[in-house]
Amino acid sequence: MDSHRINQLTHQRINQSRRDTDMKIVAIDKKDWEKGLDRLREAYRLIGPVKEDRYHYFRELPQGQAPDFDFFNTRISAKEIVYPQSEDLFEYTLDETKEDYHLLKEVEKDYSPKAVLGIRPCDAKAVELVKLNFDTDDYKDPYWLRAWEATTFVGLACDSPCSTCFCTTAGCGPYHEEGLDVLLADDGDRYVAKVLTEKGENFMKAAGWTEGAEAEARFESGKSAAEEKIVSTVSTEKLRSADTLALHGNEEMWEDISFSCINCGTCTFVCPTCWCFDIQDEVHGKQGRRMRNWDSCMFPIFTVHTTGHNPRGTKLQRVRQRFMHKLKYFVDKYDAGIMCVGCGRCVQQCPVNIDIRRVCDLMDRYGATDACAVEG
Amino acid sequence: MVNYSDKIREISKRLLKDCKVDMIIGFRKGSVPMMNEPHFARTAEDVDELVWDSNCGINLANYLTDRKEKIGVAAKGCDSRNIVTHILENKIKREQLTIIGVPCKGMIDKRKIAGLVEGEVLEVTEDEEQINVKSSGGKKSFKKTEVLQENCAVCIHRNPVVYDEMVAEPVPEQTDVDRYEDVRKIEEMDPEQRWAYFDDLFKECIRCYACRNACPLCYCPTCFVDEAKPQWVGKSQDPIDIRTFHFLRAYHCAGRCTDCGACQRACPVGINMRMLTKKLEKDCKDLYNWEAGLTLDSRPPLDFYRPDDPEDFIK
Amino acid sequence: MGVEPGRLQFSWISSAESTKFVDVVTKVTEAVKTLGPNQRFVKKEAKVA
Repeated sequence: MDSHRINQLTHQRINQSRRDTDMKIVAIDKKDWEKGLDRLREAYRLIGPVKEDRYHYFRELPQGQAPDFDFFNTRISAKEIVYPQSEDLFEYTLDETKEDYHLLKEVEKDYSPKAVLGIRPCDAKAVELVKLNFDTDDYKDPYWLRAWEATTFVGLACDSPCSTCFCTTAGCGPYHEEGLDVLLADDGDRYVAKVLTEKGENFMKAAGWTEGAEAEARFESGKSAAEEKIVSTVSTEKLRSADTLALHGNEEMWEDISFSCINCGTCTFVCPTCWCFDIQDEVHGKQGRRMRNWDSCMFPIFTVHTTGHNPRGTKLQRVRQRFMHKLKYFVDKYDAGIMCVGCGRCVQQCPVNIDIRRVCDLMDRYGATDACAVEG
Repeated sequence: MVNYSDKIREISKRLLKDCKVDMIIGFRKGSVPMMNEPHFARTAEDVDELVWDSNCGINLANYLTDRKEKIGVAAKGCDSRNIVTHILENKIKREQLTIIGVPCKGMIDKRKIAGLVEGEVLEVTEDEEQINVKSSGGKKSFKKTEVLQENCAVCIHRNPVVYDEMVAEPVPEQTDVDRYEDVRKIEEMDPEQRWAYFDDLFKECIRCYACRNACPLCYCPTCFVDEAKPQWVGKSQDPIDIRTFHFLRAYHCAGRCTDCGACQRACPVGINMRMLTKKLEKDCKDLYNWEAGLTLDSRPPLDFYRPDDPEDFIK
Repeated sequence: MGVEPGRLQFSWISSAESTKFVDVVTKVTEAVKTLGPNQRFVKKEAKVA
């Protein structure tokens, strides 16, 4: 796919997103749910939350398996649906008797339509944030964009958020619609579905779910009830005004934050908005492949130069980088809020309890003090 | 264990005031249930943040590696054994340390508790032998012995083996535990079953390396999985690479592992990689009658040669 | 780990024991050959190759 085509697709997508004038709400009787899923399977690969041993993960849903909506959130975010942890990009041969030796050939991949069912609004908004990185004026990542273009995002409104969720102060919310094609809400013996884009409309048609419903009130009341259940917050108002260098240079604060860090990749790997990757070549015999794998700014080798020098050689530097990127550099560069949707996965899963809510508040407070000093 | 916090603070304040140490390494109260955060205190004010309860499962020896300061460190049984190993391996000097010994009745298993209650765990409190859990689905209480981390349930060295001060009288050691029931089950499998067992064990691994990084033994400046010249292990999610990482890491811990459980506790997806390290621990016990970190007076079996070493496996 | 017994063998051979060395290498080679190609710890070729 050339970049022109991708441009077109992107514009189409934006137009689709804006076509919300005829947005409608559809009711899905739960008795018709599995039948609809079967109809969908004719046009889509379906992906949804599935409980494995202890936690829920996004998995392909084979015939006969419905997504399990009895979950808070999946253990790993939904980013892997368009951006797998390991992805082959090219293959090549080193066998000089072959005509195409030493030539990189693109790996064929399945970009047929797929639909993710039950993605939480936080994860869907996160995909939009990640898109800022993979879809820019200067560079468009074809692998990410094709996978994204092939995917229909069918969200599930979050009626029982966790105590660690802070989406409402992270530019998101339990009924947030950004990044979604359809938003489902559980309504007793039926789901109500808000169809948000043309992609969403096609999806609903393919499922045979077309019965309109007057359920705007369900969304309104559900939204305010769910938002009231969000008990944790972050302060982000003053991040923008904070002096970058002064914040960066507050070693005492960063030592306090980073002391316990063990520099594992848990926070970055479970985060729906962390997008960094590493390119690797692997050769077996004469057959080679080039792939990309998620990488983590927590790992020392993330920044090691070929000279051996590491500009981010200490854990304080690495921890600072992660939080500065999410809560300061990103804020300044894109003017789209923080690079965090408040899903709370890192808060729950950090092995040593480094809590981004605390870090964000510390950074925000620092911004305020600094701003006052400037004014005074 | 309930009153340990006050005692730790009292000792810490005295050590800092007398300039015996530059810093204290302990825990501060976590922001989510069943989690405490490793923390350092340099002033009397910082010391007030220090706590001790049944959520101090992270091994603090991990925070001593190559530090230059004089440090007071709170150490339960397993921490103290890893401190011994650290001293033997020159990662810290005994003279730098003031070890605040903490007799331990075990840490609680956050995953087990989450699995035993309805909904999300919201608050966990404890009195001496009881754990009280408030979840979004109601309240429940458990006997602490029922919800211990797996390694704590079979621990036979709860009291610090080296210390300068103790926060309380030693607790009785467990003598009637079968440490290796799970390992024997795997030993009894045929190769086919064993391969399948480990395939299943590691299937959720995301290679975040939390197990390695939470481990006080894993202090190599560059881990073999991170080496690029040459590259020993592939970096993708290939199950063979994942398995290679786990089993080689375990071998690097042979004769050194104290089964502190930090690896399993740290894992975001709940993998019990201790099934590898415990087998090696059992072998060291069977072959050399060795348990890691019990004494400063002898070298670990794999960096020491004895003419009477059993060598049954060598033909 | 599930590697078949017989695929991993240890011997202690002095640099002076050339005949023992040859003997052991021959025997190990034969033993491993009878086990057939190794299936464990072998990465699959690139899926799309």
